[in-house]
Amino acid sequence: MSRTRTASQNDARAIINKLAIYTLTVALFGMLLLPIYWLVVTSFKPLEDIFVVPPQFWPKNFTFKNYLAQSDPRLVQFFVNSLIVSVSSAVASTFAGALCAYAISRFQFRNKNALLLFFLAAMAFPVPLLMITMYGTFLKLGLLDTYAALILGTTATGLPLSVWLITNFINQIPVDMEEAALLDGASPFKVLIHVVLPMIRPGLAASAIFVFITSWNEIIMGLTFVSSPELRTLPAGITLTFLGEFEGDWSEMMALAVLVTLPVFVLFALTQKAVLKGMTAGALK
Amino acid sequence: MYQIKRDFLFFLALVSPAILIVGVLIIYPVINGVYLSFTDASPLRRGALNFVGLENYTFLLEDNVFYASAFNTSYIVFISSALAIIIGFMMALLLHFGIKRGATVLRSLVFQIWVVPWICITLLWGWLFDTDYGLVNSLFTWVGLTETNMDLLFDQTGAKWVIIAGFTWRSIPFLMVIALAALQSVSKEVLEAATLDGARFFSRLWHIIIPMVRNVLLVALLLDSVRFFQEMTMPLVLTQGGPSNATMVLSLFTYKLAFENWDFALASTAGTLWLVFLMLIAWLLLKFGMKKEYGK
Repeated sequence: MSRTRTASQNDARAIINKLAIYTLTVALFGMLLLPIYWLVVTSFKPLEDIFVVPPQFWPKNFTFKNYLAQSDPRLVQFFVNSLIVSVSSAVASTFAGALCAYAISRFQFRNKNALLLFFLAAMAFPVPLLMITMYGTFLKLGLLDTYAALILGTTATGLPLSVWLITNFINQIPVDMEEAALLDGASPFKVLIHVVLPMIRPGLAASAIFVFITSWNEIIMGLTFVSSPELRTLPAGITLTFLGEFEGDWSEMMALAVLVTLPVFVLFALTQKAVLKGMTAGALK
Repeated sequence: MYQIKRDFLFFLALVSPAILIVGVLIIYPVINGVYLSFTDASPLRRGALNFVGLENYTFLLEDNVFYASAFNTSYIVFISSALAIIIGFMMALLLHFGIKRGATVLRSLVFQIWVVPWICITLLWGWLFDTDYGLVNSLFTWVGLTETNMDLLFDQTGAKWVIIAGFTWRSIPFLMVIALAALQSVSKEVLEAATLDGARFFSRLWHIIIPMVRNVLLVALLLDSVRFFQEMTMPLVLTQGGPSNATMVLSLFTYKLAFENWDFALASTAGTLWLVFLMLIAWLLLKFGMKKEYGK
Protein backbone atom coordinates (compact mmCIF):
# COMPACT_ATOMS: atom_id res chain seq x y z
CA MET A 1 0.00 0.00 0.00
CA SER A 2 2.69 2.45 0.97
CA ARG A 3 4.53 1.71 -2.25
CA THR A 4 1.77 3.31 -4.29
CA ARG A 5 1.76 6.45 -2.16
CA THR A 6 3.68 9.49 -3.45
CA ALA A 7 6.31 11.32 -1.43
CA SER A 8 4.14 14.38 -0.77
CA GLN A 9 1.28 12.19 0.40
CA ASN A 10 3.67 10.58 2.86
CA ASP A 11 4.78 13.98 4.11
CA ALA A 12 1.21 15.14 4.62
CA ARG A 13 0.48 11.93 6.47
CA ALA A 14 3.47 12.41 8.75
CA ILE A 15 2.44 15.96 9.58
CA ILE A 16 -1.13 14.94 10.35
CA ASN A 17 0.15 12.10 12.51
CA LYS A 18 2.44 14.41 14.40
CA LEU A 19 -0.32 16.96 14.89
CA ALA A 20 -2.66 14.28 16.20
CA ILE A 21 -0.02 12.99 18.60
CA TYR A 22 0.75 16.42 20.00
CA THR A 23 -2.91 17.41 20.33
CA LEU A 24 -3.67 14.20 22.16
CA THR A 25 -0.63 14.60 24.41
CA VAL A 26 -1.50 18.16 25.34
CA ALA A 27 -5.17 17.29 25.89
CA LEU A 28 -4.57 14.23 28.07
CA PHE A 29 -1.69 15.57 30.12
CA GLY A 30 -3.38 18.95 30.42
CA MET A 31 -6.53 17.34 31.76
CA LEU A 32 -4.53 15.31 34.26
CA LEU A 33 -2.50 18.25 35.52
CA LEU A 34 -5.35 20.79 35.50
CA PRO A 35 -6.72 19.82 38.95
CA ILE A 36 -3.28 20.32 40.52
CA TYR A 37 -2.94 23.66 38.77
CA TRP A 38 -6.38 24.70 39.97
CA LEU A 39 -5.55 23.63 43.52
CA VAL A 40 -2.43 25.78 43.63
CA VAL A 41 -3.94 28.78 41.81
CA THR A 42 -7.00 28.87 44.05
CA SER A 43 -4.80 28.79 47.15
CA PHE A 44 -3.17 32.07 46.05
CA LYS A 45 -6.42 33.96 45.39
CA PRO A 46 -8.31 36.08 47.87
CA LEU A 47 -11.70 34.54 48.68
CA GLU A 48 -13.76 37.08 46.72
CA ASP A 49 -11.80 36.32 43.53
CA ILE A 50 -12.63 32.62 43.43
CA PHE A 51 -16.36 33.24 43.07
CA VAL A 52 -16.17 35.25 39.85
CA VAL A 53 -17.57 34.08 36.52
CA PRO A 54 -15.73 33.31 34.27
CA PRO A 55 -13.04 31.92 36.57
CA GLN A 56 -9.61 33.59 36.70
CA PHE A 57 -7.00 31.24 35.30
CA TRP A 58 -4.27 33.38 36.81
CA PRO A 59 -4.74 35.11 40.18
CA LYS A 60 -5.38 38.81 39.60
CA ASN A 61 -4.75 39.72 43.21
CA PHE A 62 -2.00 37.34 44.26
CA THR A 63 -2.00 36.70 48.02
CA PHE A 64 -0.31 34.58 50.70
CA LYS A 65 -3.14 35.29 53.11
CA ASN A 66 -4.59 31.76 52.84
CA TYR A 67 -1.28 30.23 53.88
CA LEU A 68 -0.81 32.62 56.77
CA ALA A 69 -4.27 31.59 57.98
CA GLN A 70 -2.97 28.02 58.44
CA SER A 71 -0.82 28.83 61.46
CA ASP A 72 -3.39 27.06 63.66
CA PRO A 73 -1.48 25.14 66.40
CA ARG A 74 -3.90 22.23 65.99
CA LEU A 75 -2.84 21.83 62.38
CA VAL A 76 0.81 21.75 63.40
CA GLN A 77 -0.06 19.07 65.94
CA PHE A 78 -1.88 16.97 63.30
CA PHE A 79 1.16 17.31 61.07
CA VAL A 80 3.51 16.10 63.78
CA ASN A 81 1.18 13.20 64.57
CA SER A 82 0.93 12.15 60.93
CA LEU A 83 4.69 12.34 60.62
CA ILE A 84 5.29 10.23 63.74
CA VAL A 85 2.80 7.56 62.68
CA SER A 86 3.81 7.43 59.01
CA VAL A 87 7.58 7.36 59.60
CA SER A 88 7.27 4.74 62.35
CA SER A 89 5.06 2.42 60.35
CA ALA A 90 7.17 2.85 57.19
CA VAL A 91 10.32 1.89 59.13
CA ALA A 92 8.69 -0.92 61.11
CA SER A 93 6.93 -2.45 58.15
CA THR A 94 9.99 -2.27 55.91
CA PHE A 95 12.25 -3.69 58.63
CA ALA A 96 10.02 -6.65 59.48
CA GLY A 97 9.15 -7.07 55.82
CA ALA A 98 12.76 -7.14 54.64
CA LEU A 99 13.78 -9.77 57.23
CA CYS A 100 10.83 -11.96 56.36
CA ALA A 101 11.39 -11.44 52.63
CA TYR A 102 15.00 -12.53 52.98
CA ALA A 103 13.90 -15.72 54.72
CA ILE A 104 11.30 -16.45 52.04
CA SER A 105 13.79 -15.85 49.27
CA ARG A 106 16.86 -17.63 50.62
CA PHE A 107 15.52 -20.50 52.70
CA GLN A 108 14.37 -23.71 51.11
CA PHE A 109 10.89 -24.81 52.00
CA ARG A 110 7.79 -26.03 50.28
CA ASN A 111 4.73 -23.94 49.35
CA LYS A 112 6.77 -20.77 48.92
CA ASN A 113 4.42 -19.53 46.22
CA ALA A 114 1.41 -20.19 48.40
CA LEU A 115 2.98 -18.05 51.10
CA LEU A 116 3.60 -15.21 48.66
CA LEU A 117 0.04 -15.57 47.42
CA PHE A 118 -1.14 -15.25 51.01
CA PHE A 119 0.65 -11.93 51.39
CA LEU A 120 -0.82 -10.75 48.10
CA ALA A 121 -4.29 -11.76 49.28
CA ALA A 122 -3.73 -10.12 52.68
CA MET A 123 -3.58 -6.74 50.94
CA ALA A 124 -7.21 -7.27 49.97
CA PHE A 125 -8.45 -8.22 53.46
CA PRO A 126 -11.13 -5.70 54.48
CA VAL A 127 -9.44 -3.22 56.81
CA PRO A 128 -12.65 -2.41 58.74
CA LEU A 129 -13.04 -6.14 59.44
CA LEU A 130 -9.47 -6.32 60.78
CA MET A 131 -10.04 -3.16 62.82
CA ILE A 132 -12.91 -4.71 64.78
CA THR A 133 -10.57 -7.21 66.42
CA MET A 134 -7.64 -4.77 66.53
CA TYR A 135 -9.87 -2.45 68.51
CA GLY A 136 -10.53 -5.17 71.08
CA THR A 137 -6.86 -6.13 71.24
CA PHE A 138 -5.70 -2.55 71.70
CA LEU A 139 -8.39 -2.01 74.34
CA LYS A 140 -7.09 -5.00 76.34
CA LEU A 141 -3.48 -3.86 76.01
CA GLY A 142 -4.37 -0.30 76.99
CA LEU A 143 -3.12 1.02 73.65
CA LEU A 144 -6.29 2.79 72.55
CA ASP A 145 -5.83 6.54 72.31
CA THR A 146 -2.04 6.27 71.88
CA TYR A 147 0.25 6.58 68.88
CA ALA A 148 1.05 2.88 69.29
CA ALA A 149 -2.44 1.85 68.15
CA LEU A 150 -2.12 3.87 64.94
CA ILE A 151 1.46 2.73 64.30
CA LEU A 152 0.69 -0.95 64.89
CA GLY A 153 -2.46 -0.75 62.76
CA THR A 154 -0.76 0.87 59.78
CA THR A 155 2.31 -1.35 60.11
CA ALA A 156 0.09 -4.43 59.94
CA THR A 157 -1.80 -3.25 56.87
CA GLY A 158 1.47 -2.23 55.20
CA LEU A 159 3.45 -5.37 55.97
CA PRO A 160 2.02 -7.69 53.29
CA LEU A 161 3.03 -5.22 50.60
CA SER A 162 6.51 -4.80 52.07
CA VAL A 163 7.08 -8.55 52.20
CA TRP A 164 5.75 -9.09 48.69
CA LEU A 165 7.69 -6.23 47.13
CA ILE A 166 11.02 -6.95 48.83
CA THR A 167 10.80 -10.71 48.26
CA ASN A 168 10.39 -10.16 44.54
CA PHE A 169 13.29 -7.73 44.65
CA ILE A 170 15.64 -10.11 46.47
CA ASN A 171 14.63 -12.97 44.18
CA GLN A 172 16.19 -11.09 41.27
CA ILE A 173 19.59 -10.82 42.96
CA PRO A 174 21.93 -13.76 42.32
CA VAL A 175 23.03 -15.60 45.46
CA ASP A 176 26.72 -15.86 44.42
CA MET A 177 27.97 -12.96 46.49
CA GLU A 178 26.24 -14.11 49.63
CA GLU A 179 27.53 -17.67 49.19
CA ALA A 180 31.06 -16.38 48.65
CA ALA A 181 30.84 -14.30 51.84
CA LEU A 182 29.53 -17.30 53.78
CA LEU A 183 32.40 -19.44 52.50
CA ASP A 184 34.79 -16.73 53.66
CA GLY A 185 33.46 -17.36 57.14
CA ALA A 186 31.08 -14.43 57.59
CA SER A 187 28.05 -15.09 59.79
CA PRO A 188 24.59 -15.04 58.17
CA PHE A 189 23.79 -11.79 59.99
CA LYS A 190 26.94 -10.13 58.73
CA VAL A 191 26.14 -11.28 55.19
CA LEU A 192 22.64 -9.88 55.49
CA ILE A 193 23.80 -6.49 56.74
CA HIS A 194 26.95 -5.97 54.69
CA VAL A 195 26.22 -7.83 51.46
CA VAL A 196 22.46 -7.99 50.99
CA LEU A 197 21.31 -4.71 52.48
CA PRO A 198 23.30 -2.45 50.14
CA MET A 199 21.98 -4.36 47.12
CA ILE A 200 18.29 -4.15 48.00
CA ARG A 201 18.16 -0.43 48.81
CA PRO A 202 15.73 0.44 45.96
CA GLY A 203 13.40 -2.32 47.16
CA LEU A 204 13.55 -0.98 50.71
CA ALA A 205 12.96 2.56 49.50
CA ALA A 206 9.94 1.49 47.46
CA SER A 207 8.49 -0.38 50.42
CA ALA A 208 9.10 2.49 52.86
CA ILE A 209 7.57 5.07 50.52
CA PHE A 210 4.56 2.85 49.80
CA VAL A 211 3.84 2.34 53.48
CA PHE A 212 4.53 6.00 54.31
CA ILE A 213 2.01 7.13 51.70
CA THR A 214 -0.62 4.62 52.83
CA SER A 215 -0.20 5.72 56.43
CA TRP A 216 -0.27 9.39 55.48
CA ASN A 217 -3.63 8.60 53.81
CA GLU A 218 -4.99 6.41 56.59
CA ILE A 219 -8.22 7.89 57.93
CA ILE A 220 -10.49 5.37 59.66
CA MET A 221 -7.96 4.22 62.26
CA GLY A 222 -7.27 7.87 62.98
CA LEU A 223 -10.99 8.40 63.52
CA THR A 224 -11.51 5.42 65.81
CA PHE A 225 -8.33 4.27 67.58
CA VAL A 226 -7.66 7.67 69.13
CA SER A 227 -10.19 9.96 70.76
CA SER A 228 -8.01 12.79 72.05
CA PRO A 229 -7.98 15.63 69.49
CA GLU A 230 -4.25 16.19 70.11
CA LEU A 231 -3.47 12.66 68.86
CA ARG A 232 -5.35 12.93 65.56
CA THR A 233 -3.53 12.50 62.28
CA LEU A 234 -4.08 14.89 59.37
CA PRO A 235 -6.95 13.12 57.53
CA ALA A 236 -8.89 12.47 60.73
CA GLY A 237 -8.06 15.89 62.14
CA ILE A 238 -9.09 17.74 59.01
CA THR A 239 -12.33 15.80 58.79
CA LEU A 240 -13.32 16.19 62.43
CA THR A 241 -11.95 19.66 63.14
CA PHE A 242 -11.54 21.83 60.07
CA LEU A 243 -14.40 20.53 57.97
CA GLY A 244 -16.68 21.07 60.94
CA GLU A 245 -15.63 24.71 61.03
CA PHE A 246 -15.64 25.06 57.24
CA GLU A 247 -17.77 27.91 55.93
CA GLY A 248 -17.23 27.89 52.21
CA ASP A 249 -13.73 29.39 52.32
CA TRP A 250 -12.38 27.29 49.48
CA SER A 251 -9.19 29.28 49.00
CA GLU A 252 -8.09 28.56 52.58
CA MET A 253 -9.11 24.92 52.11
CA MET A 254 -6.92 24.70 49.01
CA ALA A 255 -3.98 26.24 50.88
CA LEU A 256 -4.49 23.59 53.56
CA ALA A 257 -4.58 20.87 50.89
CA VAL A 258 -1.36 22.19 49.35
CA LEU A 259 0.38 22.12 52.74
CA VAL A 260 -0.77 18.57 53.45
CA THR A 261 0.38 17.41 49.99
CA LEU A 262 3.74 19.17 50.10
CA PRO A 263 5.66 16.77 52.43
CA VAL A 264 4.75 13.66 50.42
CA PHE A 265 5.36 15.55 47.19
CA VAL A 266 8.88 16.53 48.19
CA LEU A 267 9.67 13.13 49.65
CA PHE A 268 8.45 11.43 46.50
CA ALA A 269 10.21 13.83 44.15
CA LEU A 270 13.49 13.00 45.89
CA THR A 271 12.97 9.24 45.82
CA GLN A 272 10.99 8.67 42.62
CA LYS A 273 13.87 6.97 40.84
CA ALA A 274 14.57 4.48 43.59
CA VAL A 275 10.86 3.81 44.07
CA LEU A 276 10.41 3.19 40.37
CA LYS A 277 13.32 0.77 40.35
CA GLY A 278 12.05 -1.05 43.42
CA MET A 279 8.50 -1.13 42.11
CA THR A 280 9.26 -2.35 38.62
CA ALA A 281 11.52 -5.07 40.00
CA GLY A 282 8.95 -5.98 42.62
CA ALA A 283 5.63 -5.53 40.91
CA LEU A 284 6.60 -6.40 37.36
CA LYS A 285 8.15 -9.74 38.08
CA MET B 1 20.91 -21.30 50.19
CA TYR B 2 19.93 -21.80 53.81
CA GLN B 3 18.08 -24.72 55.34
CA ILE B 4 15.44 -24.24 58.01
CA LYS B 5 16.64 -27.21 60.09
CA ARG B 6 20.32 -26.30 59.91
CA ASP B 7 19.97 -22.52 60.38
CA PHE B 8 16.91 -22.56 62.58
CA LEU B 9 17.88 -19.68 64.88
CA PHE B 10 18.68 -17.41 61.96
CA PHE B 11 15.36 -18.34 60.35
CA LEU B 12 13.48 -17.65 63.58
CA ALA B 13 15.13 -14.25 63.98
CA LEU B 14 14.19 -13.31 60.43
CA VAL B 15 10.55 -14.32 60.45
CA SER B 16 9.42 -13.72 64.04
CA PRO B 17 8.70 -9.95 63.79
CA ALA B 18 6.57 -10.46 60.68
CA ILE B 19 4.84 -13.55 62.07
CA LEU B 20 4.01 -11.71 65.28
CA ILE B 21 2.51 -8.71 63.46
CA VAL B 22 0.70 -10.72 60.80
CA GLY B 23 -0.49 -13.30 63.32
CA VAL B 24 -1.89 -10.89 65.91
CA LEU B 25 -3.09 -8.09 63.65
CA ILE B 26 -4.13 -9.84 60.42
CA ILE B 27 -4.73 -13.59 60.69
CA TYR B 28 -6.32 -13.54 64.14
CA PRO B 29 -8.61 -10.59 63.25
CA VAL B 30 -9.83 -12.34 60.09
CA ILE B 31 -10.60 -15.59 61.94
CA ASN B 32 -12.11 -13.73 64.88
CA GLY B 33 -14.14 -11.59 62.49
CA VAL B 34 -15.67 -14.64 60.86
CA TYR B 35 -16.38 -16.01 64.33
CA LEU B 36 -18.02 -12.77 65.49
CA SER B 37 -20.33 -12.82 62.49
CA PHE B 38 -22.18 -15.72 64.11
CA THR B 39 -22.63 -13.88 67.40
CA ASP B 40 -24.27 -10.72 68.70
CA ALA B 41 -20.97 -9.00 69.57
CA SER B 42 -21.03 -5.30 70.41
CA PRO B 43 -18.72 -3.27 72.62
CA LEU B 44 -21.75 -1.42 73.95
CA ARG B 45 -23.09 -4.46 75.77
CA ARG B 46 -21.43 -6.10 78.74
CA GLY B 47 -21.65 -9.80 79.38
CA ALA B 48 -21.03 -12.93 77.37
CA LEU B 49 -21.49 -13.30 73.62
CA ASN B 50 -24.50 -15.18 72.40
CA PHE B 51 -24.50 -17.35 69.34
CA VAL B 52 -27.13 -16.32 66.89
CA GLY B 53 -26.38 -18.75 64.07
CA LEU B 54 -27.00 -17.29 60.64
CA GLU B 55 -29.21 -14.47 61.89
CA ASN B 56 -26.74 -11.73 60.88
CA TYR B 57 -26.41 -13.21 57.41
CA THR B 58 -30.13 -13.47 56.80
CA PHE B 59 -30.49 -9.89 58.06
CA LEU B 60 -27.80 -8.48 55.76
CA LEU B 61 -28.88 -10.50 52.74
CA GLU B 62 -32.31 -8.88 53.05
CA ASP B 63 -30.82 -5.39 53.51
CA ASN B 64 -31.09 -3.14 50.47
CA VAL B 65 -28.24 -0.90 51.61
CA PHE B 66 -25.89 -3.88 51.68
CA TYR B 67 -26.79 -4.77 48.08
CA ALA B 68 -26.45 -1.13 47.10
CA SER B 69 -22.95 -1.05 48.64
CA ALA B 70 -21.87 -4.18 46.82
CA PHE B 71 -23.23 -2.79 43.57
CA ASN B 72 -21.71 0.68 44.05
CA THR B 73 -18.31 -0.77 44.95
CA SER B 74 -18.26 -2.94 41.84
CA TYR B 75 -19.53 -0.08 39.67
CA ILE B 76 -16.98 2.44 40.94
CA VAL B 77 -13.99 0.07 41.05
CA PHE B 78 -14.71 -1.51 37.66
CA ILE B 79 -15.25 1.73 35.77
CA SER B 80 -12.34 3.58 37.36
CA SER B 81 -9.95 0.67 36.78
CA ALA B 82 -11.03 0.35 33.15
CA LEU B 83 -10.74 4.09 32.51
CA ALA B 84 -7.42 4.35 34.32
CA ILE B 85 -5.81 1.50 32.41
CA ILE B 86 -7.04 2.73 29.03
CA ILE B 87 -5.99 6.35 29.57
CA GLY B 88 -2.80 5.41 31.41
CA PHE B 89 -1.73 3.04 28.64
CA MET B 90 -2.56 5.63 26.00
CA MET B 91 -0.43 8.20 27.77
CA ALA B 92 2.43 5.72 28.11
CA LEU B 93 2.23 5.07 24.35
CA LEU B 94 2.33 8.80 23.65
CA LEU B 95 5.36 9.25 25.88
CA HIS B 96 7.16 6.21 24.51
CA PHE B 97 6.48 6.45 20.78
CA GLY B 98 4.95 9.87 20.30
CA ILE B 99 6.91 12.77 21.68
CA LYS B 100 10.65 13.12 21.45
CA ARG B 101 11.46 15.74 24.05
CA GLY B 102 10.25 16.23 27.56
CA ALA B 103 8.92 12.70 28.03
CA THR B 104 10.99 12.09 31.19
CA VAL B 105 9.96 15.38 32.75
CA LEU B 106 6.32 14.77 31.91
CA ARG B 107 6.46 11.29 33.37
CA SER B 108 7.97 12.48 36.65
CA LEU B 109 5.49 15.32 36.86
CA VAL B 110 2.45 13.11 36.31
CA PHE B 111 3.78 10.41 38.62
CA GLN B 112 3.68 12.96 41.45
CA ILE B 113 -0.12 12.90 41.27
CA TRP B 114 -0.01 9.35 42.55
CA VAL B 115 1.05 10.57 46.01
CA VAL B 116 -1.50 13.37 46.47
CA PRO B 117 -3.19 12.45 49.76
CA TRP B 118 -6.81 11.27 49.46
CA ILE B 119 -7.99 13.87 51.93
CA CYS B 120 -6.57 16.58 49.66
CA ILE B 121 -8.21 15.05 46.59
CA THR B 122 -11.43 15.06 48.59
CA LEU B 123 -11.09 18.77 49.41
CA LEU B 124 -10.05 19.60 45.86
CA TRP B 125 -12.88 17.57 44.34
CA GLY B 126 -15.38 19.35 46.57
CA TRP B 127 -14.17 22.63 45.10
CA LEU B 128 -13.84 21.43 41.47
CA PHE B 129 -17.36 20.00 41.45
CA ASP B 130 -18.95 22.83 43.41
CA THR B 131 -22.37 23.57 41.94
CA ASP B 132 -22.11 27.34 41.58
CA TYR B 133 -18.42 28.13 41.18
CA GLY B 134 -16.73 24.79 40.50
CA LEU B 135 -14.30 24.68 37.59
CA VAL B 136 -15.97 21.62 36.09
CA ASN B 137 -19.32 23.36 35.83
CA SER B 138 -17.70 26.53 34.46
CA LEU B 139 -15.89 24.56 31.77
CA PHE B 140 -18.92 22.47 30.90
CA THR B 141 -21.19 25.49 30.44
CA TRP B 142 -18.42 27.37 28.60
CA VAL B 143 -17.96 24.53 26.12
CA GLY B 144 -21.72 24.23 25.84
CA LEU B 145 -22.06 20.68 27.16
CA THR B 146 -24.63 21.83 29.70
CA GLU B 147 -26.78 24.90 29.92
CA THR B 148 -27.18 25.18 33.66
CA ASN B 149 -24.81 24.19 36.42
CA MET B 150 -25.08 20.58 37.52
CA ASP B 151 -25.60 19.50 41.12
CA LEU B 152 -23.25 16.57 40.55
CA LEU B 153 -22.62 15.84 44.21
CA PHE B 154 -26.34 15.71 44.94
CA ASP B 155 -27.24 13.49 42.02
CA GLN B 156 -27.26 9.70 42.38
CA THR B 157 -25.30 9.00 39.20
CA GLY B 158 -23.38 12.27 39.32
CA ALA B 159 -21.96 11.60 42.78
CA LYS B 160 -20.76 8.16 41.70
CA TRP B 161 -18.99 9.71 38.73
CA VAL B 162 -17.36 12.37 40.86
CA ILE B 163 -15.83 9.54 42.91
CA ILE B 164 -14.93 7.61 39.75
CA ALA B 165 -13.18 10.73 38.44
CA GLY B 166 -11.14 10.92 41.66
CA PHE B 167 -10.19 7.24 41.62
CA THR B 168 -9.29 7.34 37.93
CA TRP B 169 -7.26 10.52 38.27
CA ARG B 170 -5.29 9.13 41.20
CA SER B 171 -4.42 5.85 39.51
CA ILE B 172 -3.69 6.89 35.91
CA PRO B 173 -0.14 7.98 36.85
CA PHE B 174 0.67 4.65 38.51
CA LEU B 175 -0.58 2.61 35.57
CA MET B 176 1.08 4.97 33.09
CA VAL B 177 4.46 4.60 34.76
CA ILE B 178 4.16 0.82 34.98
CA ALA B 179 3.05 0.66 31.33
CA LEU B 180 5.97 2.86 30.34
CA ALA B 181 8.42 0.57 32.12
CA ALA B 182 6.82 -2.41 30.39
CA LEU B 183 6.99 -0.70 26.99
CA GLN B 184 10.69 -0.12 27.46
CA SER B 185 11.17 -3.87 27.65
CA VAL B 186 9.48 -4.50 24.31
CA SER B 187 12.26 -5.36 21.88
CA LYS B 188 13.00 -2.64 19.34
CA GLU B 189 14.23 -5.16 16.76
CA VAL B 190 10.91 -6.97 16.63
CA LEU B 191 9.05 -3.68 16.21
CA GLU B 192 11.39 -2.51 13.47
CA ALA B 193 11.06 -5.80 11.65
CA ALA B 194 7.29 -5.49 11.81
CA THR B 195 7.47 -1.92 10.51
CA LEU B 196 9.59 -3.05 7.57
CA ASP B 197 7.06 -5.74 6.82
CA GLY B 198 4.53 -2.94 6.43
CA ALA B 199 2.66 -3.39 9.70
CA ARG B 200 0.81 -0.19 10.62
CA PHE B 201 1.12 1.21 14.12
CA PHE B 202 -2.23 -0.13 15.29
CA SER B 203 -1.50 -3.57 13.98
CA ARG B 204 1.90 -3.54 15.70
CA LEU B 205 0.15 -2.35 18.84
CA TRP B 206 -2.43 -5.12 18.75
CA HIS B 207 -0.23 -8.03 17.69
CA ILE B 208 3.12 -7.25 19.30
CA ILE B 209 3.02 -4.56 21.97
CA ILE B 210 -0.16 -5.42 23.87
CA PRO B 211 0.57 -9.16 24.16
CA MET B 212 4.04 -8.34 25.51
CA VAL B 213 2.93 -5.88 28.19
CA ARG B 214 -0.37 -7.53 29.02
CA ASN B 215 0.67 -9.56 32.06
CA VAL B 216 2.52 -6.70 33.71
CA LEU B 217 -0.44 -4.39 33.26
CA LEU B 218 -2.86 -7.01 34.60
CA VAL B 219 -0.83 -7.37 37.80
CA ALA B 220 -0.62 -3.59 38.23
CA LEU B 221 -4.35 -3.27 37.57
CA LEU B 222 -5.10 -6.00 40.10
CA LEU B 223 -2.99 -4.26 42.76
CA ASP B 224 -4.75 -1.01 42.02
CA SER B 225 -8.30 -2.35 42.11
CA VAL B 226 -7.55 -4.12 45.38
CA ARG B 227 -6.65 -0.74 46.85
CA PHE B 228 -9.79 0.81 45.38
CA PHE B 229 -11.91 -1.77 47.18
CA GLN B 230 -10.55 -0.45 50.47
CA GLU B 231 -10.37 3.25 49.65
CA MET B 232 -13.07 5.22 51.38
CA THR B 233 -11.82 8.73 52.22
CA MET B 234 -13.77 10.27 49.36
CA PRO B 235 -17.12 8.55 49.94
CA LEU B 236 -16.71 9.07 53.70
CA VAL B 237 -15.81 12.76 53.72
CA LEU B 238 -17.09 14.16 50.42
CA THR B 239 -20.46 12.48 49.98
CA GLN B 240 -20.90 10.61 53.29
CA GLY B 241 -22.18 7.68 51.26
CA GLY B 242 -25.02 9.76 49.85
CA PRO B 243 -27.13 11.01 48.20
CA SER B 244 -29.45 8.21 49.35
CA ASN B 245 -26.61 5.66 49.55
CA ALA B 246 -25.54 6.27 45.94
CA THR B 247 -21.87 6.32 47.01
CA MET B 248 -22.19 3.88 49.90
CA VAL B 249 -19.37 1.41 49.25
CA LEU B 250 -18.65 -1.86 51.08
CA SER B 251 -15.74 -0.40 53.05
CA LEU B 252 -17.77 2.57 54.25
CA PHE B 253 -20.80 0.38 54.99
CA THR B 254 -18.73 -2.02 57.10
CA TYR B 255 -16.90 0.81 58.84
CA LYS B 256 -20.12 2.60 59.74
CA LEU B 257 -21.71 -0.57 61.11
CA ALA B 258 -18.66 -1.21 63.27
CA PHE B 259 -17.67 2.21 64.52
CA GLU B 260 -20.80 4.36 64.22
CA ASN B 261 -23.46 1.81 65.18
CA TRP B 262 -20.94 -0.21 67.25
CA ASP B 263 -22.56 -3.35 65.89
CA PHE B 264 -19.43 -5.50 65.67
CA ALA B 265 -21.42 -8.63 64.82
CA LEU B 266 -23.19 -7.18 61.81
CA ALA B 267 -20.03 -5.38 60.67
CA SER B 268 -18.10 -8.65 60.88
CA THR B 269 -20.79 -10.26 58.77
CA ALA B 270 -20.51 -7.51 56.17
CA GLY B 271 -16.70 -7.85 56.22
CA THR B 272 -16.92 -11.61 55.85
CA LEU B 273 -19.34 -11.34 52.93
CA TRP B 274 -17.02 -8.76 51.38
CA LEU B 275 -14.15 -11.25 51.74
CA VAL B 276 -16.24 -14.00 50.15
CA PHE B 277 -17.15 -11.60 47.34
CA LEU B 278 -13.44 -10.89 46.71
CA MET B 279 -12.59 -14.58 46.78
CA LEU B 280 -15.31 -15.18 44.21
CA ILE B 281 -13.83 -12.51 41.94
CA ALA B 282 -10.32 -13.92 42.39
CA TRP B 283 -11.60 -17.39 41.58
CA LEU B 284 -13.38 -16.13 38.46
CA LEU B 285 -10.22 -14.26 37.40
CA LEU B 286 -8.06 -17.33 37.88
CA LYS B 287 -10.53 -19.55 36.10
CA PHE B 288 -11.36 -17.40 33.09
CA GLY B 289 -8.87 -14.54 32.98
CA MET B 290 -5.65 -16.47 33.37
CA LYS B 291 -6.58 -19.64 31.52
CA LYS B 292 -5.46 -18.11 28.24
CA GLU B 293 -1.97 -17.64 29.66
CA TYR B 294 -1.51 -21.30 30.39
CA GLY B 295 -3.04 -22.30 27.08
CA LYS B 296 -0.46 -20.34 25.13
